[in-house]
Amino acid sequence: MKPRLSPQTLLLLDAFLQSPKDWKYGYDISRNTGLKSGTLYPMLVRLAERKLLETSWETIEIGKPPRHLYRLTPTGLLFAREHRLSRSSGRAQRTALGGVKS
Amino acid sequence: MPASRRFASKLLRFVIRHSAPDSQTWGNAMLRELDFIESDWAALLWALGSTTAIFRHSARALWARMGKQDLQKERPRVNSNGNKAAGIAAGIAIAAILIVTALSAVQLLFYFFPAWDLRPMPWIMAAFVISEAIFIFAVVTLWRKRRPMAVGILLSAVLVVTHVIIHLATHGMSR
Repeated sequence: MKPRLSPQTLLLLDAFLQSPKDWKYGYDISRNTGLKSGTLYPMLVRLAERKLLETSWETIEIGKPPRHLYRLTPTGLLFAREHRLSRSSGRAQRTALGGVKS
Repeated sequence: MPASRRFASKLLRFVIRHSAPDSQTWGNAMLRELDFIESDWAALLWALGSTTAIFRHSARALWARMGKQDLQKERPRVNSNGNKAAGIAAGIAIAAILIVTALSAVQLLFYFFPAWDLRPMPWIMAAFVISEAIFIFAVVTLWRKRRPMAVGILLSAVLVVTHVIIHLATHGMSR
């Protein structure tokens, strides 16, 4: 059985799916999704713990502190796509049912 | 640097310094982002949110560690106590079955051969003696390999002997 994901997690996965191969910064994800740091980082931690997200420190340039980068692992990518697919099919079903009702 | 940004940075650094080692990498990741937030108030809100996230992560790590330690401490003890109790109970059950079987055999003897005019008490005593001998043999055999079971049998043997002694002391050899 698939775990039920929170809307925030789905939002985060969607953000990663927009450019799956690119590494992303935490603050950029926060700006794009509207998630606050207190919500965003626990989700990133959980995804990383489940090996769905890979993390890396940016290569250091002189005078510039390194930033943490994130992107989905191949497993994470598969997981995110499956959830997006099941969500969109569920939405389509609901729309169809709504159409029948009305 | 404005006061709110300075406070945000100090707060986050302080929290990271005092957080669990597992949380420090994530804390530093949040701290690095602080420099890229344009608005000072947004930076302060980022720091407050990050503080909450670090607290939650540290608490979760601490809870998981405590849970693991408790399991490591408790599980073998519980298992070992459980096994011991089961062994003793099995020993007592075996002894009880043996005694009941021996006494039933004697009773059947009286029932099927009434013409033999057997005096019951010596036969009952014989059943007890034979049972006790079997108990002692079982205890000696099982003592090294299955001590809890041997203890259960020994307890039963002592109980039966005590019962017989008290019975003989109060009633004599009459039934």
